[in-house]
Amino acid sequence: MLDIVSAGSAHSAAQLGWAGVVRFLHLTPRAFLPMGAAEALTLVAGRGIEGDRYMIGNEAGFYSHKPEEGRQVTLFELETLVALKRDAGIELGPEEHRRNVTVEGVPLNHLVGRRFWLGETLLEATRLSVPCRHIEEITGKAIFDPLINRSGLNCRILQGGIVRVGDRVRNAT
Amino acid sequence: MNARPITTVRTVVAGVEEAGRDIKLFTLVDPDRWELPPFKPGAHVDLHLPNGLVRTYSLCNEPADSRRYVIGVKREAEGRGGSRALHDDVGIGDTIGVSLPRGGLAFAPEITRRVFVAGGIGVTPLLSMVRDLLRRGDANFVLHLIVRDQVPLAAQLAPLIDAGHVVVHRTSLSGRPNLASLIGSPEPSVAVACCGPEGMLGDFERLTGAWPTDKVHVERFVAPPVTDPDAKPFTLTLARSGAEIEVHAGQTMLAALRESGIDIATSCCGGICGACKVGWIEGKPVHRDRVLSPYERERYLMVCVAGSDADRLVLDL
Repeated sequence: MLDIVSAGSAHSAAQLGWAGVVRFLHLTPRAFLPMGAAEALTLVAGRGIEGDRYMIGNEAGFYSHKPEEGRQVTLFELETLVALKRDAGIELGPEEHRRNVTVEGVPLNHLVGRRFWLGETLLEATRLSVPCRHIEEITGKAIFDPLINRSGLNCRILQGGIVRVGDRVRNAT
Repeated sequence: MNARPITTVRTVVAGVEEAGRDIKLFTLVDPDRWELPPFKPGAHVDLHLPNGLVRTYSLCNEPADSRRYVIGVKREAEGRGGSRALHDDVGIGDTIGVSLPRGGLAFAPEITRRVFVAGGIGVTPLLSMVRDLLRRGDANFVLHLIVRDQVPLAAQLAPLIDAGHVVVHRTSLSGRPNLASLIGSPEPSVAVACCGPEGMLGDFERLTGAWPTDKVHVERFVAPPVTDPDAKPFTLTLARSGAEIEVHAGQTMLAALRESGIDIATSCCGGICGACKVGWIEGKPVHRDRVLSPYERERYLMVCVAGSDADRLVLDL
């Protein structure tokens, strides 16, 4: 068996060739409530997003009974929304996937364990998000299966700041 | 930190209004006045009352009024206690957990005229539908409200009565109206809906038996969706504690275990993440997960999705 080690994780100098942009920002203060669109989010290092349900120390989310240090901010690919429409005929809006940041041009599934810049903030990707039945209950759409392996990325915040729609997303390694 | 999962929408009572004899209107809002989960016209919610009772009530506001849930509750002195608890013990500022809204009605586009029939306090979901239509500029409907004497939610209904949208039939004055003539005959562009006491709903269903089903709506409270309609009830036996837990048809093992106070770690609740893996000892599990290998399934199951093909299933808990 070959020992599979990506060049990126073996050599910090290796770069993934991508450059992305923040397209939508959303947050909500409590479980089940609709996500609200924002032009800017304030990310606090080591804690989360001001006003969001998963802010550490002020948890009120559906998964808050399962504390997770690496779930301070969550991202989702705009390309997945496009693919859902194209391949499954499902219209899902950026306010419905319940992640905080919808990005375009960022290969989220490749970033686990890596650091990257989201505008002026520095994030470290901790794990892929997993879809949950809860989202079907909230949206009334059968999206659990189509979202397997592409339901976003969980990150911790290494350096806080304000993230705005239109900000660049780029590799930090 | 919450030790247990959040299962309801947290609301606070922002208004309590007298709305007729023994009737109160309660306005529920998010603590920060955030938008509440959306609903269809005429939908209903479960209220988790401070005394532990869970009771279902129709929303009487319209979906576009998205930052409030307004419910009209008649105090039933001889009822099961939900309306008494709301009337007697709940006031402004109290916190109430609410389920996600269920039910309600979205009319097909070819419907151009609607006839609503309400009995007494059963007017609440139809008021939601009527308000939704009016907000969208559609006045092509009539709501027949059948009451013994007093009109419930009189202040709310008065402008609709004045405008001719609501026609009140008082049985104390003129006897019971002829339901058949109120409903009329089926036409492709006409839909009818009814909410009221069980006897009225039965009459309405008999009279509309020949109508196409998509043109008739009878508003009854519906249970939360069942994931597997063919599921059967069964008994869980917990080998270590000796406890016996009944799992209702369509209920997940996870829900039944949680109701019995047994905490199981979960995450996706859809059989893919593997968080809720539990050993099984005896029985015939129906697995339904997409994470366990055939070998693992001989010893384990995922309690979020697994069922049982036998009356009894013994878990290693």
